[in-house]
Amino acid sequence: MTVAPGVAAMPRGQALLRGNRFDRRRLVLWGLTAPLVLGLVVFAVYPFIYLVFLSFSKSNLGTLFQDWVGWANYGDAVGDPKFTASLLRSTMFALVTTAVTLVLGMAVALLLDTAVRGRHLLRTLMLLPLLTPPVTVAVMWQLLLMPKGGWVNSFLMDLSLLSQPVSFLGSPVFAFPAISLADVWQWTPFVAIMIFAALQTLPEDIFEAAQLDGASRTQSFFYVTLPMLLPALFTIAVLKLVIAFKVFDLVFVLTAGGPGQRTTVSSFHIYRVAIQQFNVGLAAAQTLVFAVLVGLVTLPFTTAHDWALKKFH
Amino acid sequence: MSDVALNRIRTGLMGLVMLFFIFPMIFMFMVSLKSQSDIASGGFFPEQLFWQNYPDAFGSVAVATFLRNSIIVATVGALITLLIAVPATHTIVRHQVGGKFLPAFILATYVAPPIVALLPLFFLLRSTGLINTSIGLAIVYGVMNLPVAFWLLSSFVRHLPVDFEEAARIDGAGHLGVLRHIVVPLMLPGIISTGIICMILGYNEFLLASFFTRSEATQTLPVGLSLFQGDRQLRFGQMAVASLVGIIPLYFLAAFFQRWLIRGLTTGGVR
Repeated sequence: MTVAPGVAAMPRGQALLRGNRFDRRRLVLWGLTAPLVLGLVVFAVYPFIYLVFLSFSKSNLGTLFQDWVGWANYGDAVGDPKFTASLLRSTMFALVTTAVTLVLGMAVALLLDTAVRGRHLLRTLMLLPLLTPPVTVAVMWQLLLMPKGGWVNSFLMDLSLLSQPVSFLGSPVFAFPAISLADVWQWTPFVAIMIFAALQTLPEDIFEAAQLDGASRTQSFFYVTLPMLLPALFTIAVLKLVIAFKVFDLVFVLTAGGPGQRTTVSSFHIYRVAIQQFNVGLAAAQTLVFAVLVGLVTLPFTTAHDWALKKFH
Repeated sequence: MSDVALNRIRTGLMGLVMLFFIFPMIFMFMVSLKSQSDIASGGFFPEQLFWQNYPDAFGSVAVATFLRNSIIVATVGALITLLIAVPATHTIVRHQVGGKFLPAFILATYVAPPIVALLPLFFLLRSTGLINTSIGLAIVYGVMNLPVAFWLLSSFVRHLPVDFEEAARIDGAGHLGVLRHIVVPLMLPGIISTGIICMILGYNEFLLASFFTRSEATQTLPVGLSLFQGDRQLRFGQMAVASLVGIIPLYFLAAFFQRWLIRGLTTGGVR
């Protein structure tokens, strides 16, 4: 990251000589930055502080801050097996979909990099799942997976792999994989495009050198391409993890958290506590616990990114 | 393996991957042309083309209103984002305003799931009278997408040659002049890419919209689509129609701005 050091340094030197102009310049610079900072305050800082206060209070949707209850909401949150199970489920969902989209995305990116025909078309078509609203993605997969008239069931029955239609979204075994599948369908293109772009930045001569040294395609992938891509892959993994923790729409439309609690991820659980039980204080405590979890799960990946950047670049 | 054989395999794989990505859309289109009994009997193609779903969908849910609301909210939201993010990103990246802390902090705010902002923003909107209004939702989207816009725009700023800005400054242009006459024109492709991406993010958003808009006059298309799920007997054909209507504007955007979209996503790449 080079940010043109000369520019920033020069006027500051001048400014020391003419203090008055220095102040005006700083005023303009901060004036231009202020709206963004204000935006962050409204969307991130204020909600955070508000949630902290809420989480220590007895509040419902109608009447906030009825009483201060100390850590009671936190006790209720971590003591509720349904909530802790949802945390585990969100983490599973994030890790699984991230791993799958990274592997598939890598394969698609390599295909885009090496194929002779259809690259342009694939690149265009791949944008479509990425642009589709998640609610619509959910509708598409609902239509494919439904027991009566869903294509997947008709297809499997035509192949005689199934004798009776299966309600994939209502099944304790298949509901979670089904939601993951819809997510993978939506996000593999994004991951593939990012990996493809990272591939383009790798210096050509390293591959030529590897080839001259007699490395096979597989060897050059595992010993040259992969290590060089590693920092980018970790960054993409962090992005995908963060996005996966936000999942809500797919669950809302496809399963409404069911069957039972099988697909109740944390954002859906919290939404329910706030909207259906009106227990805003508890929802606030759960939200903060969830936010800490997101940070904890992504942290090793950002550390790994820094490590890979140091080691391979 | 010979190169010819390998290329054949690659082309075959390419076809499979494309099929995987477009199949759900094609099937949804097929469903939109089926009657309720035709849907229940399964299969891929409609037995008989059933166009009635199209007028019915527009009649049973306010699809046209939802679409209009979505487009307005997404566009106004993206404009708000750009208006705030373009000057700020340039200033932060070029002049290190806020040091190292501010850029890291901006990106960190993206990590928190939107459920974090849901309740506090709800009470804020309610107390300012902006709840259940399109402008309120547009402002929320405008602010929500600031970290994404900052991330995308900052790589465009870094790719901008400094020489022009320096030359203009030597010619006596102030900071605002440089921004308006040099930076914005040079960055226009990046600004457009960022704007389109922010528009799409707003257009697709569901959680906040479902919570902040409670009447037909302000609800967006994803919220409208979710209303179908409340029916005891799901009207799949009409639901498919409404979904198709919602993605057609997006796919036109993709067709026209494909290169810009990809450039927006990948400029500077990731490291």
